[in-house]
Amino acid sequence: MAAKIKIASDWLAGCAGCHMSFLDIDERIVNLIEKADLTATPITDLKHPSPEGVDVGILEGAVNNSTTEHVARQMRERSRILIALGDCAVFGGIVTMRNFVHTDDALRRAYIETESTVNGRIPRHEDLAVMQNARAIDQVVPVDIYIPGCPPSADAIYYVLSELLAGRMPVLQGKFLDWH
Amino acid sequence: MAVVNVIINGQKVQAQSGQTVLQAAKAAGIDIPTLCHHPALKPESICRMCVVEVERQRVLQPACTFPVAEGMVIHTESEKVVAARKMVLHLLFSQRLHYCMYCTESGSADDAECELQRLAYRYGLDSWKLAPNTLKRWPVDASHAYFIMDHNRCIMCRRCVRACNEIVANHTLSISGRGARTMIIADDDVPFGESSCVSCGTCLQVCPTGALIDRRSAYMGHGAAMERTKTTCMACAVGCGIKAVTRSNILHRVEGDWDAANGGLLCVDGRFEAVEARSQRVTLPLLRQNGSLVETTWDEALAVVANRMRAAKTVAGLVSPRTTTESLTSFKRFFSDVLKSKQLALFGAAVPPLDIGAFASLKELPLSDCVVIVGGNPLYEQKVLAYLTRRAVDHGASLIIVNNSPTDLDRQARLTLRFDELVQVQSVVEAAERPVVLYAPGLSADVYTMLRAWPSKVHFMPLVKGTNAVAAARLNLLSKPVHGEVLYVLAADDLPQGQELPKASFTIVQAAYHSQWTEQADVVLPAQVWTEKNGHIVNVEDRELPVVACTQPPAGVPADDVAFGILTIEMGKPQPAEASMTVTR
Repeated sequence: MAAKIKIASDWLAGCAGCHMSFLDIDERIVNLIEKADLTATPITDLKHPSPEGVDVGILEGAVNNSTTEHVARQMRERSRILIALGDCAVFGGIVTMRNFVHTDDALRRAYIETESTVNGRIPRHEDLAVMQNARAIDQVVPVDIYIPGCPPSADAIYYVLSELLAGRMPVLQGKFLDWH
Repeated sequence: MAVVNVIINGQKVQAQSGQTVLQAAKAAGIDIPTLCHHPALKPESICRMCVVEVERQRVLQPACTFPVAEGMVIHTESEKVVAARKMVLHLLFSQRLHYCMYCTESGSADDAECELQRLAYRYGLDSWKLAPNTLKRWPVDASHAYFIMDHNRCIMCRRCVRACNEIVANHTLSISGRGARTMIIADDDVPFGESSCVSCGTCLQVCPTGALIDRRSAYMGHGAAMERTKTTCMACAVGCGIKAVTRSNILHRVEGDWDAANGGLLCVDGRFEAVEARSQRVTLPLLRQNGSLVETTWDEALAVVANRMRAAKTVAGLVSPRTTTESLTSFKRFFSDVLKSKQLALFGAAVPPLDIGAFASLKELPLSDCVVIVGGNPLYEQKVLAYLTRRAVDHGASLIIVNNSPTDLDRQARLTLRFDELVQVQSVVEAAERPVVLYAPGLSADVYTMLRAWPSKVHFMPLVKGTNAVAAARLNLLSKPVHGEVLYVLAADDLPQGQELPKASFTIVQAAYHSQWTEQADVVLPAQVWTEKNGHIVNVEDRELPVVACTQPPAGVPADDVAFGILTIEMGKPQPAEASMTVTR
């Protein structure tokens, strides 16, 4: 039996919605794991793709600070094929709304002014990630396959993975592309 | 016109000489994508989305402006063309910050939604080849009361600028700067809300992206969830064709109907103000008891009204022009035939004589070479007529204003005269080819007599005040003082603008909204608002136009004329066949 294809995934500045959509492939996940191993993913709760590398790396979310940038770079280094999953990963998405206000204003709003916050304060510590402008993954590392959508449909995600497992490079068109 | 034979995508097409490649292709059912092009605007080949390959031409040509010629061989979706269109899209997306996920225009199911996004899907863009500069931000101008200009989403197609110039002839919007620094500006680069903008909203309607968005309807639902109802604006007597955009029984937006006589053009009253609730709604009949209005049933309210009418020596009736011809007819029949009252009149309206000459149409007004405005102030009262007049002036028409006081169009006028100088105009209209005269109510009889004597090629448009006042005038419902022991006021969704109701010992007000009129009433009956009505109105062209309901009235609020049918029965008279509807309770 041929070695199984290794898949890893992670999320950056995202909402986990794309991973939810991934799980929405439902029973088709059985077809996938017949041919592939889901290694380090938020679903398996295993952190970091193996240093030996994986065949397919999947990233959800935008790059928005030093930590997410590091995660993106590590996934790129350890993946043969890198997939940007969802609008935040592909374009920057909702996360880029923060680019339109000053960082300090965004932090004050989030940690102090939100209606549910009492005596809030902005966390500041040298160990914390350094904020950056939110941007698409391919503005940080090269991406091989894009699956846009907010979130992309389970069908689109399954299509891409099953094409890859069949040894073909997927081309998203029609309903797989227009997720509205 | 000469026939030109061309071949488009291998298909033999017979085009007309003078047609563009886009027009010829469209007539042959071949779809060429466009972005800066809009059917209501002159093509300017700005965006290059419509490029096609024309054999023996050195480079790709924009279909929207390239004229067909005999023997031309055109390819609209060749590899080269598709590659160029993809490049155009990548360039457009890279220029500013087009983040679809939080744009109200995102979604490709609806014509009004983002055309840029739809084309990106059509050409299979799954990502941006050229990343936008995330450090750069373009301004968002939220200074305008009715819409927002988000420069981040602007693609510089200039549809808004062209609409402001060509359709509205207001010339507020223009372009500043060059290249990547090009900006859409209002006037001399002032905030939109402080500019000479007349809030007609035509720019919103032509914007292909989310750059110009309507404050009220933004983020109120996906385009696919919105319903559109073709109907007629009831804001004034011009009777513009509109599409009412509704979702879940709520009117969210009004769009101009491109196919109607107004050609998509609307004014602030029709597009923006018409969407707002004008006051608190009357939903149940109210009866005055011990000095205050108390909710009651239709049965009781109408029984009280019928008793009072039976007992009264005279019953006077006032009707607002903001109702359908059908309701005006019922009103007239009830007062004339059932009550035998002569005390019935129209209020809040003014209609000049309608027998001056042939009626002018909205379509011919902007094409006129000589527009004469006798009295009135259309830029204030019949705004769309003023825009159409200014469009005619832009095309070289001479505008003559005859008025003893200044009007808002004086600046565009070639000649301003006093009423006693009207005689001078006759030779001018006689020399013109397509003269149109707009004339106001309330002028002296001499003025109307003089206008009647003008040659038959002169077409006339009455500057009627009051939505359906022309139909009322045809029914001989005129503005005049009325007196009666009992007063019945069909106010519809009208609101008092300074008009006091005549004194009566018992007053019934049928109104959609609470106002000082309902405050002084003894009985208040609910009425429908314009979005709930079905029927017709007659506009300033003397044309009957359909009014189609786009929202449902609150339970128990019947059409404006239903009460008359029931009152007729209550009064012990035979009921007219047309009014056999019952009131929903």
